[in-house]
This record gives sequence, structure tokens and C-alpha cells, in this order.
Amino acid sequence: MSEEKIKHTEPEEHITDHDYDGIKELDNPPPRWIMLLFYITIGWAIIYAAYFFWLKEGDHQDAEYARKSEKHDQKYQIASLSADDLVAFTDEASLAEGKQIYTDMACMACHGLNGEGNAVGPNLTDTHWIHGCDIQSVFNVIKNGVPAKGMTAFKGQISDDKIQKVASYVLSLKGSNPANAKEPQGVECNN
Amino acid sequence: MENQKFYYDNKIVKLFILATLVWGVVGILVGILAAAQLAFPVFNFGLEYTTFGRVRPLHTNAIIFAFVGNAIFAGVYYSMQKLLKTRMFSDKLSKIHFWGWQLIIVLAAVTLLAGITTSKEYAELEWPIDILITIIWVVFGWNMIGTLIVRRVQHIYAAIWWYLATFLGVAILHVVNSFELPISLFKSYSIYAGAQDAVVQWWYGHNAVAFFLTTPFLGLMYYYLPKAANRPIYSYKLSIIHFWSLIFLYMWAGPHHLLYQALPEWAQALGVTFSIMLIAPSWGGMINGLLTLRGAWDKVRDSAALKFLAVGVTAYGMSTFEGPMMSLKNVNQITHFTDWTIAHVHIGGMGWNGGLVFGMLYWLVPKLFKSKLFSEKLANIHFWMSTLAILLYAIPLYWAAVTQWLMWQEYTPEGLLAYPNFLETLTQIVPMYTVRVFAGLLFLGGFVIMVFNLAKTMKAGSFVNDEASEAPALVLAGKRNPVTETLHRWMERRAVRFSILTFIALAIGGAVEIIPMIFIKSNVPTLESVKPYTPLELEGRDIYVAEGCYVCHSQMVRPFRWETDRYGEYSKIGEFVYDHPFQWGSRRTGPDLARAGVIGGPMYKNAVWHFNHFMDPQKMNEESIMPNYAWLAVKDVDVTQTPKKIRAMQTLGVPYEEGYDEKAVDELMAQAQTISDDLKASGIELAPQKQMIALIAYLHKLGRDIMSENAAVTEEQGETAEQQAKEITLLDTPEDLEAGKKLFQANCVVCHGAEGKGIPPAFPSLVDDEWIKGNTPTDVFHSIAEGNVTKGMVPYKNMLSEKQITQLASYVLITLQEQNKQN
Repeated sequence: MSEEKIKHTEPEEHITDHDYDGIKELDNPPPRWIMLLFYITIGWAIIYAAYFFWLKEGDHQDAEYARKSEKHDQKYQIASLSADDLVAFTDEASLAEGKQIYTDMACMACHGLNGEGNAVGPNLTDTHWIHGCDIQSVFNVIKNGVPAKGMTAFKGQISDDKIQKVASYVLSLKGSNPANAKEPQGVECNN
Repeated sequence: MENQKFYYDNKIVKLFILATLVWGVVGILVGILAAAQLAFPVFNFGLEYTTFGRVRPLHTNAIIFAFVGNAIFAGVYYSMQKLLKTRMFSDKLSKIHFWGWQLIIVLAAVTLLAGITTSKEYAELEWPIDILITIIWVVFGWNMIGTLIVRRVQHIYAAIWWYLATFLGVAILHVVNSFELPISLFKSYSIYAGAQDAVVQWWYGHNAVAFFLTTPFLGLMYYYLPKAANRPIYSYKLSIIHFWSLIFLYMWAGPHHLLYQALPEWAQALGVTFSIMLIAPSWGGMINGLLTLRGAWDKVRDSAALKFLAVGVTAYGMSTFEGPMMSLKNVNQITHFTDWTIAHVHIGGMGWNGGLVFGMLYWLVPKLFKSKLFSEKLANIHFWMSTLAILLYAIPLYWAAVTQWLMWQEYTPEGLLAYPNFLETLTQIVPMYTVRVFAGLLFLGGFVIMVFNLAKTMKAGSFVNDEASEAPALVLAGKRNPVTETLHRWMERRAVRFSILTFIALAIGGAVEIIPMIFIKSNVPTLESVKPYTPLELEGRDIYVAEGCYVCHSQMVRPFRWETDRYGEYSKIGEFVYDHPFQWGSRRTGPDLARAGVIGGPMYKNAVWHFNHFMDPQKMNEESIMPNYAWLAVKDVDVTQTPKKIRAMQTLGVPYEEGYDEKAVDELMAQAQTISDDLKASGIELAPQKQMIALIAYLHKLGRDIMSENAAVTEEQGETAEQQAKEITLLDTPEDLEAGKKLFQANCVVCHGAEGKGIPPAFPSLVDDEWIKGNTPTDVFHSIAEGNVTKGMVPYKNMLSEKQITQLASYVLITLQEQNKQN
């Protein structure tokens, strides 16, 4: 009796030779929306691949990291500097502060108490520099580090104006001839 | 045509059902234990066999392979015979299959708790068990295909297609992922390394979900749902389309477990796009199930079996929408490494797999025992308990995931991490873990009610081992008539051809991803500075694997600023080339360790710290939920295996010099001696051959190589320049002291202990009368602000404001001193 009732509400045809342990199958087409969804996702996949690989529009993750990281730095550059402001301090107060930062951030662990260098890091007091000797270069090395060589990036730890001060301090060490100075590394550089 | 008489083998079905019930209780209990361990670490019991790192893999294996596995076989053995109108091909094979599978489960339980593991998730079992699984799986397939051959039905029904795909899919996955080089009966190394191992493992891991938790269940759905509802399948055409599209597409989606990780972009993109394309094929199964219930919803109201089936299918639909969304890279950065994934799999496991198994059992057991279900009411109670348990499980964990993720990436206005201490982000969500324990108990309660209900049903009924039936013999139809018979319909009566085509559809995705990863060099760029592990580090690594450290600690810094600020430089593909197996992990219950060896990096801890932390993590940090590992200071490294391990690594392509195996033990002891000496300098006696020494050596190797040349901090004992001291007045209001307490717990307890007693002699007590740098408020303020870099005391003035440091000093000098006096 319930069979009868169902037949009324159900115009679809049973497929005649489909009977598996009493299970019948209907000849309905798949609902249109599910097929549409399928085609849309395939289309999306093609566009995604095209965007990142053929058109090369989308950033790969290294580039994305660099871009977002830069944005991050800009966002938090409250005390940060424009290129024009990036000059080496020579006044005593700033250099004393720079020296304090040098101590606080444990720079001496790799560069020695007085910048003489040690087994790990280069001498900061001679005229030879590996990554440049102007304030911009030194600032940049401290800020972004040289990860491959073990120089830590300090941008997440101290603000730009502190980096500027410690960089100024480092530059002020030139010619101070500390004891146990490490042999020169890099190229001769004067400014 | 004359009918042939034959007997269905119901006994094998009954055996698998009983095993399902037993292992179900065990699996859920172990899950509750694991959940309790995360809420209350005391449940680790201080024993090496019951730490979370070993219990959690036991839970996943017990649920997937023991509970769900036996349920699949019960459902398949019953429905296959009915659908093919024949007894199973061989009773002997059925029996070997059953007992072999139970043996595997028991071996799994014993070995996993003993710390014998490959560490590849859901494939943790060691090589002898892998071989046993292969044999038993072949027995299952042989029995299945034999049954197909002796069938009395012209066409094979959709449920059988899914069973076939299950057999073939799991066979491919298991064999390819289990290539490993044995060292001993209990230890092997994956032949794949690093990123390659990761691709193979997650191709496996993702498709274990597909071909163990999805395809067999779709097969079960196609049989038990229309049977229980007594309704025809809604659309035969949809069956065809979603079958082929699903099995083909699934195999490509594995890399979505490795997004933003050290994997080539093309492989990640395949993971993303194929996951999105899987939505419609997955939903095809859901809607074919739900539409089959059209006109039968009144029955759903009255039948617990149908309720479970309907909710199960709905949970499947939710999971298979959520999964692809989690595969989008921007969503994945939230869901990966957090509890989101855990919630996701439990919607699938408890909702879809649980729902189908319970629905099937409530229908099948009365049928087999020729009786009515003992109590429909109890079954309904089980249904509501189970549904509530799923919600109670998932919602807190989603909450926890988002909370923790937000905390991980929050910055202060100065641009520093708001929660630099990882533990703060965990402590915040531990209450959610307590809720989860109750969810588990509720689910178990419902399950036990079901066991009782079914046992009563069995007792009241009468069971026939061999159920008589009859059907005419099969006369194979001849050539295809292209007018009356579609191509697919023709294939449905050519079972072998159907299987071959299924195999091809399955093999393509894996081949396209794995082969280039292994053979095309540019996919894994080498890094000059990355060096193989020393023998001691290698032994330490094996301990790391055995203890299941990867269960809670990832080794994969993703290229997000909030990860690189917290952990250090993001991980590069070339860093992992000597990692057999890879240890990237999938959940960060503890902090990432990829850069734990970078001296001067944010994750570095010295040997003394590690020693104290392993001995008693809670002493160093009250709120830590890490189990203690004190036995590592008792047990020795088995150096007799070391040369063998070195030779195995050479076989796998690790460039140790010729004959290094003979020097390995000497080098191991020499390196161990330096760590032992280092500890001794701080007054800790730990013999060099102890396992903890090897583990510390391994941790100190992690992530260090590409940050090279800063290998050693020099022992510069610099006099820090005297600062002009500024007078400090303590802040003694309750609010300030409370704030000081919070700061102390977040920053100081790791070294100085919750009560400020320190860990002498490395970390001084703050509550005795001896002060290295004086105990005036100004002195203490200074010690905190300036730190003592050479001794390991961090200068906090860049992280905390002057007021905060004053609050901290006040807490130390007022509250801690008072507490100490009271005791």
C-alpha cells in the first residue's frame, strides 16, 4: 500500500533491470545545480592555476612573505626613519646610547666587547667591510640580518632609531684598535 | 532457469560486528584518555608508555583501523553476499582476514605504547606489521574479487564499485607509503626524505581518509540507506558521475596538508585546486543519499537507524565542504597547526563514520538475529547523546582554534608579538580541552547504551550461521549492444575491466605528484650548509620519533611574519634532505621546534634548561601541559645499533664518508661527553650515554645549519657598562601586584620557577637572602631591565614598559617574599 502512495508522489521511472537485493534505482538526472557547481569549481581551478603559474600574477609564498613583511614593517614604523633621516650620529649622547644597545643586544657575543670580532663575527673596527661601510649598509645589516651567515635580524627586537644609534656607534669604532683584533675581512671601504 | 541453492555466511559478519563493538569502546576510551591528558597533564601518569605522544597515535589507529575497519568489513561481508547472490568466495580467506586483522590491531596497540613507531601519521606501525597488513589486505581483496567472479548477478551494483575502489586505493597507498629500510625488527627508516617524505605521507594520509573513511562508507550508504528506508536510489546517473570523479580527484589533493610549508608551489597548487574540485563529487554522494530518503522522512522520525544514517550523510556533506575550504591557503593558515583540524576530523569521524556504523548496526543486527531491536527508545537516546557529543566536541575546538590563531599573530602597537610566550596561547584554550573530555564521555555513554541494546537484541533473537537462499546461476551476457546498453552499463558486468579502470583512475594523481618530487632535482634545491646528523643527533632524533614529540611539536616555520618573529627564519625545502622520516608535524600543542638549535634565536634553550624541562615541565612552568620525560635520564642509548643506522643512512644517500660507521660510536660518545660536561658545570650529573643527552644534541641541531657559523656563543664575559641608576619606588597596590604576577608567570617562571625558587645553580632563587646584583627596588628593576646577557638573563626593557618592570620588581620583592615567609 505504501508502494502505491509513493508511486503517486513520484513521477520518476524505475530503471527496469536495476534490482540489487531489492534495491531499485531511479532514472533521474543529477540535479542541475550540482553539475553547475562541479563546472564552476573546475573553472575556478583553471583560473587559479593560470593566475599563479601561466600569467604569473599571483605571488608565490616567498614573494608574498617579502611583500607582507615589508608592509608589516611600514605599519609599525612609528619611530622609523626615512632615507633622509638615516645619518650617522656623531654626538656623544647618541653614541653612548648606541654603545648601551650594543651591550644590551649582546652584540659582543659575536663581535667582541669592543668590536674586535671573534671566532664568529668580523672585526668592526678596521677598514674592511663585507657588506658595505656606509650608514645605510650597516643599518641594513643590523635590521635585516645576514641569516645565511648567522647575523641575526634585529628588526623584530629593536626599533629603527635604536638600530640607527647602534649603527652609528659601530661606525665610530673605526680605528679604535682594540686588543685581540680579528684579521680584516671583506673589502677595503672608506667613507 | 533452475535455481541454485546456497548459504550466506552470516557468522563472519557477526564476528566483525562483535569486534566493532569491542574496539569501538577501546578506541573511544583511549581518545578520552588523550583528551584528559591535554586538559590535565597528570593523566600522563608519569610513565613512558602512557604519554600523550604515544596515546594519541593509539587513539587514531584504534578508531580508524580497529573500530571503523571492523565495521567496514562487517558491512561489506554482509552486503556483498546479498548483492552478488552468493556466499563469500572462501570461508578460509574470510577467517584469515578476520583473525589477521585482529592480530594487527593487538600488535599495533602493543608496539605504539612501547614507542615503536615510524611517526608517519596513521601509518605509524613498523615494517613487520606493515607486511602483515599487506598480506591481510590482499586476502581481503582476493576474497572480494573471488566473490565477484562466482556471483549470480549480471551487474555489479554501485556499493560494490566503492568497495573495489577501497580495496585498490588502500593497497596503492599502503604499499607506496610504507617503503622503509629496516634496521632491526622494531626500527626502520622511511626511504623518502624531507619534503618527498612529506608529499608521500600526506598523499597517503589524506587518502586514508578518502579510501578508508569515505569510499567504503559511500558503499555502505548505497546499500544500507535504501534498504533501511525501503526507497529506490535517487539517481543512477549521479552514482556514476560522482563515483568516477571522486576517486580520480581525491588522489591529487594530499598536498593541501602542506600549504605554506617547505613544498614546491606547483604541488601546493594541486592540493588547493583538486580539493576545491572535490566539493561537487563529494556532495553528489550526500544528495544521492538524502534524496533517496525523499518520501521516507516520516520513517526517519520513527527509526533511530535512519536518523543515524541521515545525520551521518549530512555530517559527510558538512565535512566535505569544510575540507575544501580549509584547503584554501588563506583559510589554511588558521586551520593548520590549530585545533580546527581536530574538530574537522571529529565531525567526519563521529558524525559520518559513527553515524553510518550506528545506523547500519541498528538495522543489521535485528535482521541477522531475526528479531526486533530490543529498544527503539534507547537507540533514540543514543542518537541524541551522540549528536550532542559531536556539537560539544566540535564547537569548543573551533573556538580554541580561532582564539589561539588570533593570539599567535597579535602584535603590540610597538610591533612586537603580543604573546611572545607560546604557553599563554595554550593556557587560554585549555578550558576548551576540559569541555572536550565531557564530549568524549557523552559519546562513550551513548556507545555503551548501543552495545547494551544490541546485546539484548542478539540475546532475544536466533542467529543462523549459514542462511539459506537460492538464485539462478549467472549466464554471462555476450557482446555489448550499443543501442540498448550504455558503455557504463556494459562495464558493470565486466568486473575485472571495471577494476582495472578504477586502478588507473586512482594511480594518476599520486604518480603525477610523487614521481617529480623524487626524480626532478629542482624540486628539492640543496643547501650547501645543511649537514647530516652526527651519530648522537641521529640517535636523539630516533628518540624524538619514538616518544611521538611530533604529535605536539611541529618543525615547520611557515612564511608568515608572526611565525618568523616567534620562531625564526621560515623553513626551506633543502633543510630536510637528511630527514628520514620528516618530522613537520600537524598540530602545535607546543611551540614549533624547527629553529630550536639556532643559538641566539628565539627558540634556543641551553642544555640545563632542557634537562630541567624534561625532568619536570610543570616545575619550570606551572601551566605547561607537557608530560615529564624523566626516564630519558635513566635509559641508555643503544649504541650497538648506531653503526647499522649510519650504514642504513648511507644506503639512503646521506653523504657520510666511507667507513664512518666504524667511527660513529666514538664520535657519539665524544659529543655526548661535551653535553654531559656542560651540564656538570651547572651541577647536573648526567652520564653521556643517557637518552636525554642524545635528545638535547638533536634539539640543538634543529634549524641551525642554514643559520650557520653562529654555532658557538663565545664565552665573552663582558662587564656591562654601568648605567646611571634611577631611583625606583615599588608599586604595592593589589592591581599592580596582580599585573606583576601575570608578567612573572608569562616571562619568568621558565627559569625562576612559579614560586621564585629558581633552579640552582643555573638560575638563582629570588626568595633567599643572596642576591647577585642586590635587592633594593632599584637593583631588581635594573636586573630585569638590563638582564645579564652572558648568564642567559634576557634584558626586558625592550619588551616591557618601565611601569611593567616596576610591577614585576614589586611582585618579586613583596608578594614572593611574603609567600616564602608564610611557608
